[in-house]
Amino acid sequence: MLSRFFETLYHKVFVNIVVLKSKSVVSVETLAKGGVIDSVEESFATTTLNEKMYNFISAYTKESPYYYISLLDKTPSQGACPTCSKKNMSKYFDTYSSKHFCYYSRWAYYTSKTDLHILQKEYARIGVDFIFSSFVLLARFFKDKIDTNMAMFVLIEETYITISIFDNSKLLFAKHIDVKNDKNSDELLIEDQDSSEEELDLAISNEVDFDEVDNDELDHLGDIEDLDSLDDLDEFSDTKDIEEELNEKLDETSIHTKADTFSEDYQRFLFIQKTLNDFYKNDEQADQFIEAVYIADGIGVSGDLKRYLEEEMFLNVYIRNMDINAEVFELAKAEVK
Amino acid sequence: MKLSYVKPRRKSVFTSEIQLLFVFFGITILMLFFTYAFLLYKDYKFSQDMQDIYKNKARIESNIEKMKQKITLVEKKNLLAEKIYTQNSVLKDSITNLFDLVPKRITLSEAQLLKNGLVLYGVTPSKDVYNFMLQAPLRSIFHKTYSSFYPLKNGWLRFVSTNYVDEDELEDEIENSLEMDEGVEDEG
Repeated sequence: MLSRFFETLYHKVFVNIVVLKSKSVVSVETLAKGGVIDSVEESFATTTLNEKMYNFISAYTKESPYYYISLLDKTPSQGACPTCSKKNMSKYFDTYSSKHFCYYSRWAYYTSKTDLHILQKEYARIGVDFIFSSFVLLARFFKDKIDTNMAMFVLIEETYITISIFDNSKLLFAKHIDVKNDKNSDELLIEDQDSSEEELDLAISNEVDFDEVDNDELDHLGDIEDLDSLDDLDEFSDTKDIEEELNEKLDETSIHTKADTFSEDYQRFLFIQKTLNDFYKNDEQADQFIEAVYIADGIGVSGDLKRYLEEEMFLNVYIRNMDINAEVFELAKAEVK
Repeated sequence: MKLSYVKPRRKSVFTSEIQLLFVFFGITILMLFFTYAFLLYKDYKFSQDMQDIYKNKARIESNIEKMKQKITLVEKKNLLAEKIYTQNSVLKDSITNLFDLVPKRITLSEAQLLKNGLVLYGVTPSKDVYNFMLQAPLRSIFHKTYSSFYPLKNGWLRFVSTNYVDEDELEDEIENSLEMDEGVEDEG
């Protein structure tokens, strides 16, 4: 009763730390009775807690005793399983070494206790109040679609992809992939190296149909140094002109950036494709067929990913932009309530 | 529903600074409270003492009143005793004088001392003895003197002498004597 009274006297400060590939984004929201009174976001060139970040966070947390620091679980050992029964959970993960919670008694999400401990220790100086699962974030973000559709739901972060397949709010399959460190990622890229190179060129040109390119012609294309000789090819001469025009418009850096983005999107596509294959290989889901994929875009993926999914996997792709910080704030607020 | 893997830390407004502030204010409030309690106790004690003093005062006043009454009574008794003593002294002197006054030849059988008079019963050998030896001094003392004689078988006479002092004349005499005393003192 007394603590409730004190709570009304102070502002609530929500601090949210999102760790990206090479930096951390710290967002701070100060809430009063009337709503948000202050909102700040700052990037730090570190993936752990450094002195600068500590000072930045401390400046806000000192304003009120009612401050909450939230993290999105970035550990690769996290996952989700379609049951809430402890007995059945052991089929999906080690229940003794993992911490798990049920989501509306429908399915469970889990993560390694050791990883959680390491994460908490990493931020021990400022302390952590909430660590949220990417699956919860995804489930809340697509709540309207999950309840009424059978589809694949994907959360795309800079270094992680969280994939789940729901059939009218029943979880069928879930996977959390560390794009940067996943051991399968190299295999996937090796397997599709040849085709990816072809697709990279095609994506840039945007005019050549992938299916119409013969293998022989692609062999010639592999020799980039002999680009002049490609002028002889009728089909390719038009393409070259477009490339030249693009080169005039874009500087070298932007080309690299676009190429990097494309490469990452292609890698994501491969992960999604592989995950869907894994799902189909599962005997329990033999009669299920996925027609749609809903993507929560947390980083701003290019249209290539959508195009690949549509053209290669014949999926209906719906992309919804997600402000991860805002969603984590919502989770933290929901927890505080 | 629980969404986070970890529980939020317990939030409290009582930071170390606030705790210090509360301790300081707590001690101050305690001191004020104790001072207030002490003053309340003292006030209560003072009221009790006041009541006791008022009661004592009333009791003492009552005692004083009683003492005054007793003193008045004692004074009255003293005055009465002095009066009686004076009267007794006067009476003693009167009786002494009376017996000194009676000659040896006359025998008194009874004497009644009245407020303003004297009644003597006795036996005298003759009227002359009585008239010369007893009636003459009695006349000098009393204003009115009456004598009656009854003869006895042996030839003596039984007498009854009734003597009164006239009070008006006595007051005049006293006044005269006082005036004379004052005059003597003035001359002195």
